Amino acid sequence: MNLLHTCLRLIVAAILTASSGIAYASNLTVQVNASNRAPLEDVVVYLISNKTTAISVPGPRPEIQQINKAFVPLVSVVQTGSLVDFPNKDKFRHHVYSFSEAKKFEIKLYADTPSKPILFDKPGYVVMGCNIHDNMISHLLIIDTPYFAKSDARGRAMISNVPNGDYSLIAWYYQRPDKNALTLPVSVKTDATQMLVIDASPGI
Amino acid sequence: MRFFQFRSLQSRIFVFFFLLILVTQLGSILITSTLGLSIVNKTLSEELNTGERVFNRLFEQNTALITQGARILAADYGFRDAISSKDAETIVSALDNHGDRIKADLMLFVDIDGRIISSSTLATQSIDAGELGWLDPKRPQNKASALIERINGKLYQLIAVTVSAPLPIGSVVVGFRIDEAQARDISKITNTEVSYVSQKAPAGWQVNASTLPPAPLDTLQKALAGKMLKNDSITLLPTEVGDYLSLRLTLSSPAGQQTVVILQKSLDDSLAPFLDLRGKLLFLGVIGLILSGLSSFAIARSITRPIKKLAHFAQNIAQGNYTERPDIKVKNEIADLADSFDHMSTEIASRESRIMDLAYRDTLTGLPNRTMFHDRLNQAIHTTQRVGKPLTIMLMDLDRFKYVNDSLGHHIGDLLLQEVAQRLLKSLPRKSDTVARLGGDEFVVLLPTDDIDHAQKVARTLLAALEAPMMLEGQMLDMRGSIGLASAPLHGNDSATLLRCADIAMYQAKRNNSGYAEYDVSFDHNTLEHLSLMSELREAVEHNQLTLYYQPKVNLNHSSTHAVEALVRWIHPQRGFVPPDKFIPFAEQTGYIKAITAWVLNEGVAQCAEWSRKGLEVSISINISARDLLNVDLPTYFSGLLEQYGCQADKICLEITESAILDDPDRALDNLKRLEAIGCKLSVDDYGTGYSSLAYLKRLPVGELKIDRSFVMNMTNDPNDVVIVRSTIDLAHNLGLRVVAEGVETEEILNQLCLLGCDQAQGYLFSKPVPADDFYAWAESQSGPEMVRRVCKI
Repeated sequence: MNLLHTCLRLIVAAILTASSGIAYASNLTVQVNASNRAPLEDVVVYLISNKTTAISVPGPRPEIQQINKAFVPLVSVVQTGSLVDFPNKDKFRHHVYSFSEAKKFEIKLYADTPSKPILFDKPGYVVMGCNIHDNMISHLLIIDTPYFAKSDARGRAMISNVPNGDYSLIAWYYQRPDKNALTLPVSVKTDATQMLVIDASPGI
Repeated sequence: MRFFQFRSLQSRIFVFFFLLILVTQLGSILITSTLGLSIVNKTLSEELNTGERVFNRLFEQNTALITQGARILAADYGFRDAISSKDAETIVSALDNHGDRIKADLMLFVDIDGRIISSSTLATQSIDAGELGWLDPKRPQNKASALIERINGKLYQLIAVTVSAPLPIGSVVVGFRIDEAQARDISKITNTEVSYVSQKAPAGWQVNASTLPPAPLDTLQKALAGKMLKNDSITLLPTEVGDYLSLRLTLSSPAGQQTVVILQKSLDDSLAPFLDLRGKLLFLGVIGLILSGLSSFAIARSITRPIKKLAHFAQNIAQGNYTERPDIKVKNEIADLADSFDHMSTEIASRESRIMDLAYRDTLTGLPNRTMFHDRLNQAIHTTQRVGKPLTIMLMDLDRFKYVNDSLGHHIGDLLLQEVAQRLLKSLPRKSDTVARLGGDEFVVLLPTDDIDHAQKVARTLLAALEAPMMLEGQMLDMRGSIGLASAPLHGNDSATLLRCADIAMYQAKRNNSGYAEYDVSFDHNTLEHLSLMSELREAVEHNQLTLYYQPKVNLNHSSTHAVEALVRWIHPQRGFVPPDKFIPFAEQTGYIKAITAWVLNEGVAQCAEWSRKGLEVSISINISARDLLNVDLPTYFSGLLEQYGCQADKICLEITESAILDDPDRALDNLKRLEAIGCKLSVDDYGTGYSSLAYLKRLPVGELKIDRSFVMNMTNDPNDVVIVRSTIDLAHNLGLRVVAEGVETEEILNQLCLLGCDQAQGYLFSKPVPADDFYAWAESQSGPEMVRRVCKI
């Protein structure tokens, strides 16, 4: 634990750029870099406050595909209570399972998209594997806030339409799945970019 | 027993071959041993290396098998489900079931927080969490962690496999005991001794499983403690029960522990065939050595034995033994050498006999020579002393041989000697008698069994044999010899003495013209008495113990001149008066008379000169011996004296005897003529006693003749003597000589002499010989002339 604490250090150099006119909501862009300054992908960032709760958001159902003996995406993030599909794009069958506390489930040998999506009704971290293909691993973070994003290949993650206010900015990295990588108080007033540096070296 | 001296050829040959074989045998044994050892070493090293590869492969395969077993459990969905749901009973039962299936000795699950869940049925049910300190259950065991760990004193091969769901949720750890049975299994496959040894700080090395017997195991433990074994290298480890080639391999162990496996091959087992071979070689070597020793001994002996015999033969030759032949039976080079030796020996023998002839024979006559005669004489003397019977030697000298040799030549002389030798040999038929030629005309005869009387008979025979005339190359020769006899033990007991005695006797015989003479001590001038007399006489001359007495020679014819005869007298400090006949003949024989004559001459001339100075004119007569007469220096000496003392030569009259002239008339005459030339008078003394020869008398330059006293003294008794005296006086007067009569002791004789017309008389009637002063007084008294006047009535 201590190790993770020390590993995750945050250097804040927030440059808040005032947007023109009065805005109700703003976009928070977070630039995630590794300590070696390389952009860090697949880092989940989200904002919480005492007011935030999971809300139903219209749109397509999130899915975790199995393509070429790999979960795509590798890292996913959903709000608590989300249903997630596991479509199998391979020509052979998979046996997806999870022994995680947040969601224990098993989709026995299937092809195509299983008829029933999996409901993740508890916040937490779920790691999923395939009982046939040992190397297949997928990480899913279940959170109680709609304000989240995942860094892309350039390390950029944009949390959109965040009502102005004060939040805790939390970063989670799947390589350190047990703990939040970083918690940082932010005040969202206008569109801004937040720089985060995360020690990305895998724990021993 | 000089056999084992290394100098001897035999021992050298023996030792050489023996050493040769020894070195060869030792070499082959050494090579076999070394080669064997190196082959065994190499083979064993290769076998150990093979063993190492086999062991590693076995270990890998084993690990892979166990890993697979562990993985099957780790991947089991139900097992993972049980873990995820923390269903301890299910986990344990799964461990039991799986452990039983793969025959594991240890089966447990370590969760992500390090908690251990063990199998309940296996022998090893639980271990302390600390034992698995090396295991981090949070980390995925990408490759199965396989290591050897000592747990509760027992050695396990542990394999940990991560359980993923799909992230790591713990590890399954499977353990297998490494025990004696395992070691034996491995040993069978690797074909080496296998020992597992571990060290867990702070304790030392501990053997966990081994196929070794206890003793080498103990050594192995010590070797490890002493860090004698290096990793992955082969070491020779000597133990009480033999040497082991050892290879140490380190197995992976948790930190703080060290586990090694020692693969070993017994050197002795592999060496056994070579040792057997070496034993056989050694046996063969010893046999070979004995055989070669015996044969080289025999060969050496076959060479050196004949050589020793040859050496012995050569020693025999050296000692003069030529009869023995070298006893060489073999036919080889040494036999040739022996033949050469034999030939040489024969040659030496014949040469030696020639040399002996030369050394012991007289080459001219073929008689034994002086050396051989001495040998035989000594031998005979030895026998004489032993047996107690006398022997006699006869020394013979040919009379006038020198004359023959000089006048007829050496060739005739040699023939004469040969003839004499032959006659002597013929006259001595006894084999035991020896005739030898000593040299020149000297022969000697050894009669080893005859006494002196019998020898005299033999001497007469020999002389008779020589008397027959000899015809040598047309020359008729009469030969006579003189023989001296000496006998042992009568005259001496050694060869030198006998020969000397015989020599003296021979000269006596020659002098006496007696043919032969036996040795008599009176002949011998070299007796002690004579020797002492000789030295005393010399002293007398040197210390003036001699003195001259003078006896007057009185004129019977009215002449007023004085004449005396000087007579030497010896007044010895101890003996007193020594009569002249005691030392004059002796002095004549030894030749010392010369010194005496010289002294007398000196004394007489001096006295004559002195009287002359006193006014007394005296004519002095001095006796000259035969030897003096032959002394060529005498005239010079005499004239020197006359000059020295200023004496007139005609005052001195030198008296000589007839025999003195006869020894060597020519030289004597020559000397006399020289003396006469000086001016002195000469007189013939003792006339009538010797071989008086008128022929000589005529030739002598003498002026006086002295009639011997023996005729004069008997004149009154024997008419014959008167006749002799008278005729002598007449003869002398006819030859123009004065006549002096000696031994005139009575007036009657004096009277007769006057009547016979004798010129001078000398004798006790007038005066005995008196010292010079007494004579002076007598001359002054004129008593002599007075008596003549009175008796002869002139």
